[in-house]
Order: sequence, then C-alpha cells, then structure tokens
Amino acid sequence: MRSEVAIVGIGRTPYSRAKPGEPKLTVDEYIAWAADLALQHAGMDKTDFDGQGLGVSHAEVAHTVNWSAATAENLGISPQILLRADQGGASASAMLIRAAALIKAGIVDRVLVVGADTPLNIPSAAPGLPLSPERTRGVYWDFQGPFGVMGATAQFALVLTRYMHQYGVTPEQLGKIAVTTRFHASLNPGAIYRTPMSLDDYLSSRLLSDPIRLLDCVPIVNGGLAYIVTSAKTARTLCDKPVFLRGFGEANNYYHGGSRALPDITHTGFVEAAPQAFAMAGVTPKDIQFFEPYDDYPFIALMSIEDWGFCKKGEGGRFVEEHNLRFDGDFPLSTDGGQLSGGQPGGAIGGFMPLVEAVTQLRGEGGARQVPNARLGASCGFGGIPYGRPGRSCVSLILSNED
Amino acid sequence: MLTSNALKPLPDITDQTRPFWAAAKQRRLVLQKCARCATFNFHPKPWCIECGSRKLAWTDARPFGTVYSFTISRAVAMNLSGWQAELPVLMCLIDLDDGARMYGQVTDCTPEALRIGMRVEVHFEDISDEAAIPKFRPAKQPC
Repeated sequence: MRSEVAIVGIGRTPYSRAKPGEPKLTVDEYIAWAADLALQHAGMDKTDFDGQGLGVSHAEVAHTVNWSAATAENLGISPQILLRADQGGASASAMLIRAAALIKAGIVDRVLVVGADTPLNIPSAAPGLPLSPERTRGVYWDFQGPFGVMGATAQFALVLTRYMHQYGVTPEQLGKIAVTTRFHASLNPGAIYRTPMSLDDYLSSRLLSDPIRLLDCVPIVNGGLAYIVTSAKTARTLCDKPVFLRGFGEANNYYHGGSRALPDITHTGFVEAAPQAFAMAGVTPKDIQFFEPYDDYPFIALMSIEDWGFCKKGEGGRFVEEHNLRFDGDFPLSTDGGQLSGGQPGGAIGGFMPLVEAVTQLRGEGGARQVPNARLGASCGFGGIPYGRPGRSCVSLILSNED
Repeated sequence: MLTSNALKPLPDITDQTRPFWAAAKQRRLVLQKCARCATFNFHPKPWCIECGSRKLAWTDARPFGTVYSFTISRAVAMNLSGWQAELPVLMCLIDLDDGARMYGQVTDCTPEALRIGMRVEVHFEDISDEAAIPKFRPAKQPC
C-alpha cells in the first residue's frame, strides 16, 4: 500500500533558557517563528492554509493557555478545519494521525501543525506550581500535591523503582542513554546542552528522587516547533524529499495487567500502539533504522524500546548495553540529543521533537549526526502522567522517505 | 485560617471530595466503593472505572496496605516549599488491602529500611480545619 500522506516541511526555533537579557517571546511568537521555518522548508506560504487545516498543540504552563482559533487569528490564517490536541507530549504525533485521516477522507489537502510553550516565562518569581490548571487543580492534583508528590520526577521514579524490582536495570545502562544522547546533542547546533559528558559525570550527579538523578532529568526551555503534512500527491509536487507516514498506532489510558485499580505500571501503551503501526507499515522492529523516543528521562526511552518490541520486556537494560546507540551505530537513538540534552519546550511541545528529528534524518538533513542511508525510522509521542502510572497517551509513528 | 499550612498545597474541597477529607479528619480512611461491582476507586472518580456505575458510596477501607513502589524525594520540585522541612520525603504507591492504590508518604521509617512489599498502616495528619491526609508507617504487626 502506498502512503497517502507525507510531511513536506518542519520548523524548530532556537531554544531559550530565558537567561537575564534574553528576550522572552510569547507562545504565539514562537508559533509564528516555527511556522515560518516550516513554510520556508516546504516552499509554501501561510495563505496555502486558508481553507485547509491548522493544528495547534496545547501549551502546558498556566500562563500560556492557547485556543486554536485564537492562534489562527493571531497568525492571520483562515482554516477550514482546526485541530487542537491536549495529549501532552503525544499531541504533535496525535495531530499527525488526525491530519492524515482528514486528508485521506478528502476533507482537506494539507495541514499546518504548530506548537510552542514558554515554561520559563513564569509571570512571578514565586516558587511553586507553574503548570496548567489541569495539572495543579482539581481531583488529580488534590490527591497528589497535598500528599507530597513532587512532580514528574517523583512520579516516574516510582515507576522506575517498580520496574527495577520486577526486571532490573543498572544506573550504568540508563547512563549510557544519557551519555549517548548528550553526544548527539554535541553534534546538533540547536541543542541546549552540547558539552559531552562521561558515564562518571552521570553516575556522580546527585539523586533528586531515588533512583532518578539530576542528569536523568529533562531541562526546560522556551521554544516552538511546527510541521506541514499534505496528501502524498501534493507532497510530490512540492518537494523531492517528502517523508511519508507509513504506519501509526495510538493507545490512550492504557492499563497493563488486567486491573484498572491495581495495574502493572511497568508497561506503557506502546505495547498496543506499536504493533498497530508495524502492521500498517508492513515492517517489523528489525527493519527500523533509527528510533526517536520521547525521552524526558532515559528510563522512558528504555521502556519505549521494550514496549515497541525492539527487545523483550525486561531486557531493555541489556539491549542498551549490547547496542551502539550512536547515530552511526546499530540502534541510533535520540539522534538530535533528544529532549534530555536538547531541551524540552514544555512537556507538550517536546513531543514535536522526535517527529521533527525523524523527518530531518529521512530528508538527509542531519548534518554531523546524519544516520547513514536513513530510509525507515520510528518516533514516539508520549504524553500526560496519569495517577500512579506512566504515560496517558502513547503514539507510535513509522516514517519513511520511500512510499 | 490556613496560614499554618500556606507553604504546602491544600486541596480544593468540593462536594465530590468532601467526604474523603472529612472522614480523614475523623481518622477514617474512606474510598468510593462501587455498588455494582464492589471495586474501590481511588482517587475519586465520577463513575466506577471498572464497570461505569455511578453508584459509588464512600465506604470505610481497611487502614492497611503494602508498598507497591517507592521513591526518596530529596528536593522539592513541582510542589510547595513547605515540604522542605520534611525532606527526604519517602513517597510511595501503596496497595491498600481493599484493592486500591494510592500515593502515600511513609513516615517513621528510614530511607534504607523502606522496601517494596513492606506492610504499612495508615495514620493521619491534619492539614487544615477541614482536611487531613492519610500517611503511612510500618505496620506494627502483620495484618
């Protein structure tokens, strides 16, 4: 089956740590910047999206709530269809699936998908809770914050402790992921942390929430990303390097082990999403040449590797140990430095990065970190932290420069 | 009124959740139990997440559980600075004997002694005039 949609342009703004003296751009300014880059990349104009599709990812922090129609207004685009995703770090990938369905149905021919967040533009200097009301109000937070839950690091540390109890993984194995992605960041001018680090650096970084240490944690930045998806027919007229969506899968609110009350929290929804994507693409895990997980923590990358089926459950640590994760190795991982060393423009918008990097590789635009002869790659959307479990939304994408 | 806890987050108490907080003030752990399938739901849900019944009744739960997983939080992150004085916080996922899982802080225990499978019992801490939260400590006897 020939692929019916393709990505024809991507944009990723420079990231900012919002240090004193740096301009603090708004979400819409970052969105416009990222969209501008994507439009230039595709050789298109914003008027190409009047009467077409515009997808807007939610921003995550409290002062940046954006409605898709307001974004259309601020960009001066008059789309027929608006998409808005609120699936955290799965939003960008989920909108690709929605856009593909709209295009396949003939409702629109092309969709511009944008997202940005400015978590470092906290309006006051007060410490506390810069996240959106969804994360800090209502039943979800009422039964976490007052109980002493210290955010995502503690939430994922609880998953990791349980994983270690059931399967085992060493700090050295997780550290290899962090060290390799830092190496990739050193080759990516757009990454935030580019100074290579050693395994010793990783192992000697302080524990924040055992067993998660400082160098396990994603650094927050301000920034924006965008991509453009069109019908395969239009894509071929626009560019000579379209990147085709060969397969996708999605699982939301996945419970493993048969019980919603007492689930096994060591598995993610990729257990369901990845097989869907492989079946649609007609390929198997061994055909995948590079893997772009949503890597806010090395452990999330490791669980994703397992749950996609690149190795058996529980063997992720050994898999990481036995494979060369470099861009020129036998299992290239997070080739842009990922979010871990690249920076995360809010948890929701960080979800654009695996997809944008996969497209970069498949267009042969990876520069010093280019995967040799890249033809087929996989990327992840991973978003939201449910109560006591990892990952509300898991999206598996398989992309290729061959249809 | 709540100034003594201003540096720790307090729940927004709603009609949905008030029974939980009020019972905790009375040193009782109550959870929503489904009248149709008997599942205990936690945190509070709009209907039973197993069977979809809206007939959920606040029901006393046995105040004992087992540590399903744990972390030692050594820094206050994404929370309020009032927790600083209690660091390191021994934060756990506790499987209650009645079959629900909840986040809970374990007290009266060293980080070194904390382990998966440890039996724990509930105690309560007042956090406002209207609310208390359940915390856990190693169970005195196997229950």
